Amino acid sequence: MVANIQEKSLYLPKLAKMTKKERFTDKEMFFEFRFDDGSNLNHRPGQFVELSIYGIGEAPISISSSPTQQGYFELCVRSVGRVTSYLHNNLNVGDYVGIRGPFGNGFPFEKFKGHDMLFICGGLGVAPLRSLINYTLDKTKRGDFGKVYILYGCKNNQEWLYQKEVEGWKNRADVETYLTVDKCTDSNWKGNVGVITTLIPKVNFDVNKTIAVICGPPIMYKFVVLELKNRNFKEENIYMSLERRMKCGVGKCGHCQINSVYVCQSGPVFDLPTVRKLQEAI
Amino acid sequence: MEEYIISLEDLKKLADNLIKEGTDLFLPSPDNSRFVRLKKADELKLAPEARPSDISAKQAAFPKCDPVLFYKRDKSTVELKDAEPSANQVLFGLKPCDAAAFGIMNKVFNWDYKDNFFNKRLENTLVIGLACTYSDDYCFCTSVGLSPVSETGSDIFLVRLSDAQFAARAVTDKGIQFVKKYSQLFAKGDSSKSKPALESIKGPARKFDSKKVKDWLDKNFETDFFNPVGDTCLGCGQCAFVCPTCHCFDIVDEDYSYSEGRRMKNWDACQFSLFTLHASGHNPRDNQAKRYRQRVNHKFKYYIDRFKEILCTGCGRCSRGCPVTIDIGSIVTKIGNLT
Ligand SMILES: Cc1cc2nc3c(=O)[nH]c(=O)nc-3n(C[C@H](O)[C@H](O)[C@H](O)COP(=O)(O)OP(=O)(O)OC[C@H]3O[C@@H](n4cnc5c(N)ncnc54)[C@H](O)[C@@H]3O)c2cc1C
Ligand code: SF4
Ligand code: SF4
Ligand code: FES
Repeated sequence: MVANIQEKSLYLPKLAKMTKKERFTDKEMFFEFRFDDGSNLNHRPGQFVELSIYGIGEAPISISSSPTQQGYFELCVRSVGRVTSYLHNNLNVGDYVGIRGPFGNGFPFEKFKGHDMLFICGGLGVAPLRSLINYTLDKTKRGDFGKVYILYGCKNNQEWLYQKEVEGWKNRADVETYLTVDKCTDSNWKGNVGVITTLIPKVNFDVNKTIAVICGPPIMYKFVVLELKNRNFKEENIYMSLERRMKCGVGKCGHCQINSVYVCQSGPVFDLPTVRKLQEAI
Repeated sequence: MEEYIISLEDLKKLADNLIKEGTDLFLPSPDNSRFVRLKKADELKLAPEARPSDISAKQAAFPKCDPVLFYKRDKSTVELKDAEPSANQVLFGLKPCDAAAFGIMNKVFNWDYKDNFFNKRLENTLVIGLACTYSDDYCFCTSVGLSPVSETGSDIFLVRLSDAQFAARAVTDKGIQFVKKYSQLFAKGDSSKSKPALESIKGPARKFDSKKVKDWLDKNFETDFFNPVGDTCLGCGQCAFVCPTCHCFDIVDEDYSYSEGRRMKNWDACQFSLFTLHASGHNPRDNQAKRYRQRVNHKFKYYIDRFKEILCTGCGRCSRGCPVTIDIGSIVTKIGNLT
């Protein structure tokens, strides 16, 4: 899977041009990028890129678009530090960034075929999961999967990402979408209030044929897993994307290591039985 | 194994030839703090009785700061240039605990993607090892599969016969080709010369069973064993920076000016608290005991699990240099005795 790794150097990015920039919230923005030669990233849902801004640095960012979207790719970035704030504040449509990758294993969607899909997204975790959600919902792939449940929670009503698209998911007859906010900050909100685990009892999934895919802040995993176990979910049907500090993305620099596993290469997606064997993982 | 005899005078001639050809020659500095470039051939000295240099020779293949690309920025466009390949270099008088380290690091730099910055340098490097007659309380090469006379990682291996004379063994193809190229300086010898010299080398007193260490680590991740060392360790990272096998790095941009600069691979260390800090503020190794546990596990368990090698050559540098006298040798010896 050495798609966009330049022959001579692992660390030499390929330039990509920003073609869309849109504000989602105070902290998060949406970006579309294209390579000048029109080539695709050739990624799998769940993979990430190393995004560079020269003179500022590099940061790992999940690919938020589905590979079925051709000719461009999309990222959703929270401004937290040097690279991400520069991207937000100083770069505009027409500017170039460096891209290395795609890296990581991505979701084993081949194994998911024929199953019902339960997506559990917390906050920014929707960014990588959107890639798989939109892949699943793509008209060329929809037939490969059964029912689709999307559970998406945010801290408050100001923090929704991909709001228009989420409306689209809600309006689809072949998707059940459940939304929640930890704290209600909009008097017009008629949906659920409470952490994301409070949505799980509301969903009537069949544990024998459903795959759960989780992505969110580290604290979320333990509680979501407990709630799924209460519903007799099989551990091998639970997948999660782990967060680690990463630098090289290619299994060299050591930052992302958990035991003898390099998360940037063997992850970031793992099934629960594998995560259970990794110490310090969640 | 081809064995030769070479006098110190001829080694100096060899060095002189190499310098004139434009090859970079490195050897331990006179104060033994680090590896330095040899500028004048008659300053060549080989000291098998000296302690391992304070800083290892790993910079030859994995420099402290290594440019991986140069960039030029012009408003919205960027021009990228790959870093230049390195020059030929010869490392003189490496101890077995330094020479073996390159092969160990080679595993991580090539297990999946290939790191050509490391590979090119190693390809362009000839290692002249030297049988070591030093040992102190910190050394433990014989407990990690090496010894003061092991040739692992050396292309040519020297054994001091007298102050003026050395036995030279051509260990690898690269070493054999090298001896051929300078054959007028090497006289044919045989192992009868080096054997007594090698047999007189005793090696370090410290001994532990690395298999027992791994057995214990396999079973004891959650443990309070590392709490005392966690309380003492300053997290300064000295141990990783002097180590011949530690290979973690950061990627950092250095602007020369607003319009141009370079991107660097810089050494990093798992003993730093920021090493694993997520942007979210979450830190999976949030105290020094966990970070020291990582250091010991990476060296004596994880690296073996993944690459079948101990990530340590027993040189003792990390312990000799530790500001708060943490001694990895005695820590793993203790672990070995727990099973
Ligand atoms: C596989 C993977 C996928 C990811 N996907 C996404 C994604 O899709 N979207 C996304 O937004 N993020 C994603 N992240 C997280 C993202 O990589 C980090 O947010 C990013 O690396 C931060 O880089 P930075 O240079 O902006 O921050 P840095 O400057 O490196 O800062 C890192 C942390 O230090 C803090 N900090 C920065 N400067 C200072 C200072 N001067 N003093 C004190 N603290 C400071 C920041 O607040 C931040 O918490 C992903 C991470 C991984 C590993
Ligand atoms: S050198 Fe000593 S104090 Fe410094 S990080 Fe290593 S063990 Fe800790
Ligand atoms: S861990 Fe210490 S003893 Fe082992 S190779 Fe590194 S510096 Fe030498
Ligand atoms: S990010 Fe460098 S090893 Fe994984």
